[in-house]
Amino acid sequence: MSPLVTNAERLVEIGLAGEVAHPTHSGAYSVDSYGRPIILPGMAGVVRNVRVGDQVFPWAADHLEPGVSIGSDDPSAHRALQILACIGNEVRVLDGPAAGAVGRVTGKHAFVLADFPQAALEVLAPGDRLAVRAVGQGLRLEGFQDVAPRSCAPGLLEALGVTADGGRLRVEVAAEIPPYLMGAGLGMSSEWANCDVMFTRWEVIERLGFERIRLGDVVAMHDQDHRYGRGYRPGHIAFGVVAHGGHGGVPGHGMGVATFLSGPAGRFEIVRADSANLRDRLPLPA
Amino acid sequence: MTVRTNADQLLRTALVGEVTNPVLEGVSYAVDADGRPFVPVGAGGVQYRVRVGMTASGWAADQVEPGASIANPNPPANEALLVYACLGNRAVVRTGAAAGAGGVVVGKHEAFQAYKHVLVDFAADVLARLAPGDRIVVEAEGRGLQLPDLPRVACHSLSPRLWQRWAPEATPGGLRVRVTRVLPPEVVGMGSGRVSAATSIALQAGFAELDGLRIGDLVAIREWDATYVTGYHEEFLAIAAVVTGDSPLLGNGPAATILLSGPAAQIEPVLAEDANLATLLELP
Repeated sequence: MSPLVTNAERLVEIGLAGEVAHPTHSGAYSVDSYGRPIILPGMAGVVRNVRVGDQVFPWAADHLEPGVSIGSDDPSAHRALQILACIGNEVRVLDGPAAGAVGRVTGKHAFVLADFPQAALEVLAPGDRLAVRAVGQGLRLEGFQDVAPRSCAPGLLEALGVTADGGRLRVEVAAEIPPYLMGAGLGMSSEWANCDVMFTRWEVIERLGFERIRLGDVVAMHDQDHRYGRGYRPGHIAFGVVAHGGHGGVPGHGMGVATFLSGPAGRFEIVRADSANLRDRLPLPA
Repeated sequence: MTVRTNADQLLRTALVGEVTNPVLEGVSYAVDADGRPFVPVGAGGVQYRVRVGMTASGWAADQVEPGASIANPNPPANEALLVYACLGNRAVVRTGAAAGAGGVVVGKHEAFQAYKHVLVDFAADVLARLAPGDRIVVEAEGRGLQLPDLPRVACHSLSPRLWQRWAPEATPGGLRVRVTRVLPPEVVGMGSGRVSAATSIALQAGFAELDGLRIGDLVAIREWDATYVTGYHEEFLAIAAVVTGDSPLLGNGPAATILLSGPAAQIEPVLAEDANLATLLELP
């Protein structure tokens, strides 16, 4: 086994401005997978009581974004934030009572998702300004030209314990996702938001044994090619982190997985490890 | 035996769309599944060459829309147009060189954060006279269609006219419908999680079952629920009509508009090569 060789020292690091996004609502009901009208929270704002490392499904929520959701009112700037922010990037609070607090990007969804120490989460509020040190797009792995890191901060793969061995990358994952569960997010670009795993009914979660999956878990998505967009492709595999949760259950949606790596399946060795989670591996402070 | 419907309770409502113009965001390339840049043409405007009944694959295009692509320029009105219009509805040209000519609604197509179109087939000589901006009146009928004896089966974008031509047969406890093929659930790419009434889902490449697919084909998707919103459900089945050509993009492919969904135990798909909108609706 050998450590990874990357072009990390050639990447540029860009400061991006964002702010804690305020939740929005259309006023209309959604419909869950049992045909029931639902109004559930989850997206945007600051979620103070659910963080990366906690379980995905116990919450009365839909598209639950843990911690802080970062966006921009300017659509072009928001797009840049979405595309350029990478999992593992540092985020700093610029104003408000949490000014100076430092967090990390832990995923993407409608917003860039970041975890902060609990003391900062307790006082952060929508409108607080943040700066993301965006670095990672353009990352390449020497000897693995056919493998694409996406939204992957330099150092993330090392933190997750990824190593190279005989032309293959050894990746520890907490769970493996079959292709028929991949839902909303397919067909979008690799760097944009994430892809939902259609755990919208408790019966399916139980049948496949995903009851205890956690936000921040590293998962393998089989028969998925997420190098140039996201879609079904036998013989390919994609790796991501569980970015959003809840079991509010609008059909076709579900638990969101943000991609950080994809390539031909033969280039990877998958090792199951319950501890493969951003909370302990980055690590994220309490 | 025929299946009872509530067709005599349905409203017939006039809505308006304009023939669209293709839109592009700046001069930017899309990137295909193998990482090659391409220019995404094919959606919007008048398509003279590609018609319902032709192959869905191989066009030098991204989800080419057959015939005339229409939308209402006012977004909430366009949402209504998308919800009300049903496949098989009559459409009439209101303005321009083709005023007075009749056509047929043959699809609904959504592209993520880009556009939502209703697709209308016209005879070739009418298409030749149509231009972006021409107003088209859609005589919308079909929203609200129900099967009183099968309350768990949901109908979407399915006009009474198409229902009649498709002619689903009653079975003990369900119905039997003609389709050209039955597809596995992982075929659904872009479009999971969309509201079934108003839009399309994409059929991803990579499945032998898609070989020979034609625009207009009716297809069944196993383990797929589109009662309200489209998503995986191991006990359900959905039927959709293919309405565009395929796509070079990962996770995309021919767009399909939902027609029917319900418990798999109640919907029996039978293979029939002629289960295509061109044949069923006797398109010119």
